[in-house]
Amino acid sequence: MNKNPKIYIIIPAFNEESVIVGVLKEVRNAGYNNIIVIDDGSHDATYNKAGSMDNVISLKHFINRGKGAAIKTGIEAAKIFDADIVVTLDGDGQHNPKDIAKMIELIENGNDVVLGTRLKNSKGMPKHKILANYIGNFFTWTIYGLWVTDSQSGFRAYSKYALNLIDTKTDRYEYDSEIIREIHRNNLKYAEIPIEVRYTEYSMNKKNKMNFKNGIKTVIKMLISN
Amino acid sequence: MIKTVSILQIIVALTALAFLLTGIFKYIKRQRSQTFFKLMASVIIWGSIFVFSIFPSITHSLSAKLGFGESLNTLIFIGFVIIFIILTKIINIIERIEKNISEIVRKEALSKINQTKTND
Repeated sequence: MNKNPKIYIIIPAFNEESVIVGVLKEVRNAGYNNIIVIDDGSHDATYNKAGSMDNVISLKHFINRGKGAAIKTGIEAAKIFDADIVVTLDGDGQHNPKDIAKMIELIENGNDVVLGTRLKNSKGMPKHKILANYIGNFFTWTIYGLWVTDSQSGFRAYSKYALNLIDTKTDRYEYDSEIIREIHRNNLKYAEIPIEVRYTEYSMNKKNKMNFKNGIKTVIKMLISN
Repeated sequence: MIKTVSILQIIVALTALAFLLTGIFKYIKRQRSQTFFKLMASVIIWGSIFVFSIFPSITHSLSAKLGFGESLNTLIFIGFVIIFIILTKIINIIERIEKNISEIVRKEALSKINQTKTND
């Protein structure tokens, strides 16, 4: 690992115009200046607002392809810039960028993937979310063969080595579980760390968030794509 | 002809009727998605399910007339296998198309970076 690794922060965003600038400011204040925002076919000004910030590369999917597809685009972009470490976090502000430092430290200490986990610090997490997480973990373990404490978390870090090995096919929420499969398949060294999650009224009310219907769809897609 | 009707028969008949009527109403309303071919397919499939659910004994006489005799169950099983194979094929095709769409969208999004790099 380089002494000064190139760290890229990937933020997938869909209709986040009201919060995206705040999220980007927080990431910059945490000390990260290489930020890539992927607007996944938003109908609002997310792309322009993100692009107006200094040191932010704003990319746009001209139609909505899903969170997984957006992250994959971000990772491909980071590869073009020869990134050594990539961190992904959600665009709705639920993740605290202050947790990035711990993730990078774990990558620098030899881990290939670091998974942020909400369940190791579930204080304040709604009960239905905790239950949904356990169900998601169960199906991920059953289908992909690796038990992790938060298979649906979008807050993750990857080494360059892992980025070159991980090969995903899915585009939507099943992407998060597919990463777990890739960790297992490629025998990647991974670590899980507790992360802070801020459940605001805004993030809880988002229409495109994982709900029961999307959960069923995700499990079916995981079964088919496997 | 109807001796005893079970709850299952009623559920299947009502479901078939609902799909049948939906298809007919869509056609009457001249919805773009409902073509004459789709309507005919809907009438044949859901109509048959409706009739067979109300008069299940028809299947036996039909089977005898068609020369299948007692092997009707095998025929139904083969039918399910064929449907499963077709479904799997369709899912594979959809997945491939979805993947291609994502690739095109990704390529277009990344072209901004590649363009900037070329200009530099």
